[in-house]
Amino acid sequence: MELNALDQEFMHSGHVGCPGCGAAIAMRFFLKALGDKTIMVLPACCWSVIAGPYPQSTLKIPLIHSAFETGGAVASGVRAALDMKGDRETTVVTWAGDGGTFDIGFQALSGAVERNEDFIYVCYDNEAYMNTGIQRSSSTPYGAWTTTTPGTDWKKLRKKNIVEALVAHRIPYAATANIAFPEDLVRKAQKAKSIKGSRFIHVYASCPTGWRIPSEMSIKIARMAVQTNIFPLYEVEDGLRYTINYKPKEYLVREYFRLQGRFRHLTDKDLDQIQEMVNEDWELLLRKAGEHA
Amino acid sequence: MAGSKVQKIDIPLFMPRSYMSTEVNKTGSWRFLRPRYDEKTAPCSAACPAGEDIARIEMLTTQGLFKEAWETILKENPFPAVCGRVCFHPCEGVCNRGEFDTAVAIHVMERFLAETALRYDLKPLLEQSPGKKEKVAIVGAGPSGLSAACFLNRLGYACDVFEAASEPGGILRWGIPEYRLPLPALRSEIARIESAGVRIITNKRLPADFAVGAKGNYDAVFIGCGHGRTTMLRIPGEDSSGVEDGLEFLNRIRRGAKPPVDGLSAVIGGGNTAVDVARSILRLGGKAVILYRRRRQDMPAFQEEVEMALEEGVELKELLAPARIVKDRKGLLITMRPMKVAGEDESGRGRVEPAGGKTQEFRVRRVFKATGAEAVEEWLNPPGRQRNVLLLENCVLVNRAKGPAVVFGGDLTNETKSVAHAVASGKAAAIALDTFFREGFKAVRSRLKSCAVGNGKALSMEIYMGGERRLRNPHVVRFGEINTDYFHFAPRITQPRLMKEERLNTFKEIDLKISANLAIREAERCFNCGVCNRCDNCYLFCPDLSVIREQDLVGRHVNYDYCKGCGLCVVECPRNAMTLEEEKR
Ligand SMILES: Cc1cc2nc3c(=O)[nH]c(=O)nc-3n(C[C@H](O)[C@H](O)[C@H](O)COP(=O)(O)OP(=O)(O)OC[C@H]3O[C@@H](n4cnc5c(N)ncnc54)[C@H](O)[C@@H]3O)c2cc1C
Ligand SMILES: Cc1ncc(C[n+]2csc(CCOP(=O)(O)OP(=O)(O)O)c2C)c(N)n1
Ligand code: SF4
Ligand code: SF4
Ligand SMILES: [Mg+2]
Repeated sequence: MELNALDQEFMHSGHVGCPGCGAAIAMRFFLKALGDKTIMVLPACCWSVIAGPYPQSTLKIPLIHSAFETGGAVASGVRAALDMKGDRETTVVTWAGDGGTFDIGFQALSGAVERNEDFIYVCYDNEAYMNTGIQRSSSTPYGAWTTTTPGTDWKKLRKKNIVEALVAHRIPYAATANIAFPEDLVRKAQKAKSIKGSRFIHVYASCPTGWRIPSEMSIKIARMAVQTNIFPLYEVEDGLRYTINYKPKEYLVREYFRLQGRFRHLTDKDLDQIQEMVNEDWELLLRKAGEHA
Repeated sequence: MAGSKVQKIDIPLFMPRSYMSTEVNKTGSWRFLRPRYDEKTAPCSAACPAGEDIARIEMLTTQGLFKEAWETILKENPFPAVCGRVCFHPCEGVCNRGEFDTAVAIHVMERFLAETALRYDLKPLLEQSPGKKEKVAIVGAGPSGLSAACFLNRLGYACDVFEAASEPGGILRWGIPEYRLPLPALRSEIARIESAGVRIITNKRLPADFAVGAKGNYDAVFIGCGHGRTTMLRIPGEDSSGVEDGLEFLNRIRRGAKPPVDGLSAVIGGGNTAVDVARSILRLGGKAVILYRRRRQDMPAFQEEVEMALEEGVELKELLAPARIVKDRKGLLITMRPMKVAGEDESGRGRVEPAGGKTQEFRVRRVFKATGAEAVEEWLNPPGRQRNVLLLENCVLVNRAKGPAVVFGGDLTNETKSVAHAVASGKAAAIALDTFFREGFKAVRSRLKSCAVGNGKALSMEIYMGGERRLRNPHVVRFGEINTDYFHFAPRITQPRLMKEERLNTFKEIDLKISANLAIREAERCFNCGVCNRCDNCYLFCPDLSVIREQDLVGRHVNYDYCKGCGLCVVECPRNAMTLEEEKR
């Protein structure tokens, strides 16, 4: 893999992420791509814990722990402070979970990107509030078990399409990325870094603990999310120009669901229905990219 | 509190700021599974009679390290230019890639590497043991004898090879036609063996009592005289003029003659000799029909050769056994008895028996016998089971009470008669004799076992000589153990060939050379089953930064201080070069 060039590490071992944590892998790749001239804003999420208890830090770059709902606002402030100091070189990155992005942090994020604040907002998506014990979020996919959607009350609502919500703000750059596709991820991080204004990257980050999957499967499952079109890899420039980065062959969503404990209760009929939803989303994306199915 | 004076206290702004890393947390204590680097055995290498380290050869080829790849072949097989052409490549039959799309064209790569070495006149650098005092005589300079000499030489023994013919090579020189094995390819390999210090004495047919008389001059004798005489048909009319010996016919062609073959010739048999005779007849301007007692799929000749023969115009008549040959004014009349299939033998080959019914007659100018071959003289056959005899895989070791030990090998002992098996004989004999000299007769069998590739029949000289390969786990990697997410469908290389029309009037080599580009692309199809190719997946995907690459970037190790045992490295290793096992603390 070409990533050998990115030999430098900006993370330390000894963090307390769960074995096989996708969010830890996502961070490692991003920092390799962005380099040490980066300040990170970290609203409450699993990463608040992974980053280490005071006085430890697992990152070799400065990071600011912030309140859960403030990722967009704090980053705007950090950017303004750097500007006042005349530092145009440092990249400001908000690193937030799906809860902190899709739900509680959404207004701060929407406000910041509406002002086209100059920062990168990364949402690492593990599809629930994992840090506090697997509560559902608006990112939790249709069909999933969580502690707040237990038993037969599994989530029967669709996952919010966050990238489209950001695209609607007409920001300069919005993209999806996935830990199983490091080359694509690193390219997008570097591309985002080279663009001015608000940039948003939605990273799929598997969670062995919350998804009830074996730790060694977290990359495999992340890869399948792309292969099945459940999590397509694409990027949108200026809210208009869509590029689909990966066109999978026909894989069935069924195989992705079968591997995860959080979907164990789904029947064949449910899975057929989910397949239709995925197909529908994919066709919509194709249409937006001007590539009719 | 209206009017009261508020005291202003200066509280300094305090932001807690971390000042140490997380490395104090030894998260390795969480681990209950332990990943480790554990290179394994590729199925192809276990199926290769010479035990070549194919996964590594292909890996080096993709890196453009052609010399190193070629040397990796030479460690186990001194005949890559020959085997890349004529070996029936059992390796490809078990290639894991075959379950994905199509097997890797291993033999094409082997030939490419040999060709490249020849083109650039490369000199191999191979491990060489210090000189030993014992001397070994080798009877017969076929592939088995030459391999024995080559490997014994590498183990430090002086070897003299005695060959009855005017030039070494055995069947490779005097049997297999040039359109399959051109002379320069063979000569370059033999020259390399000689330049390593092996002495070859040609035009020297050794007598039956040689081994007895060798005492004093030699400490052991290897007998690899091959099966040089065609077996009899045992039918009336076999001695008629016009009934010829297939081996003898091929031999005449390789000596430079152009035997007359006008009209139609019948070739009796179904092995490589039969097919080579028939195809040579076409090239000399004649017509040929192969008469075989079983079916096409039962022919011991390589299917690809049969296919090309038919394409060139050879006719094949199946399920016909010869009954008699009659010579008359118009030529030969050969009567064939129809056969029928009656079950299968253990190897799946059809068993046949007379079907009764009408015989068929063929009017031909000549009949070529190519039904099989046997030792020219009785003394060349190895003895059966006895106390002082070890019946080994591909060779037989005789510990004679008086005089030097004797090893029989090559076609004389091998169940499957092929060049690669002849090489295997030479290697087994070399290891057996070295062990015999150093540790005694009793140690031989277990020593051979200890250098088996993947606990199979093939032996590895590299393992025997203590090379890195001895660290491989003998577990043979299965297709299910490959992470195919990292591989994409890619068509197998098509061997460029002379067109049918171009082949018919010459003995020019049919298979053409391939470019380095194509070779690399084909080598890239290889999964490198069980062998680390330094793709770095393990390093990349580790969430705990616990895969450490050594300074040279070649080696890697796991930092167990922090590895939590998630197992991602093991699952994401595309080629099963790692293992996850229970943590035993
Ligand atoms: C026509 C033909 C085509 C073949 N094609 C293929 C093929 O495509 N692929 C494949 O893998 N195998 C093929 N084979 C089989 C393969 O050639 C043999 O298995 C292999 O050559 C056996 O090697 P060997 O060293 O045992 O004997 P040989 O190659 O037969 O060599 C024996 C040597 O010993 C010499 N010799 C014999 N007696 C004495 C003596 N008393 N003193 C001194 N020297 C003596 C002979 O002159 C000869 O040079 C083919 C065989 C034939 C006949
Ligand atoms: C205002 C507020 N409400 C609740 C919390 C408790 N809290 C901390 S992290 C978290 C969940 C975060 O979920 P998400 O953003 O998806 O990140 P994850 O933990 O899944 O990585 C919650 C509810 C908080 N810190 N602040
Ligand atoms: S893929 Fe490569 S290493 Fe694996 S069996 Fe085939 S040739 Fe051998
Ligand atoms: S993942 Fe790649 S680098 Fe790591 S052991 Fe496997 S082949 Fe070697
Ligand atoms: Mg979350």
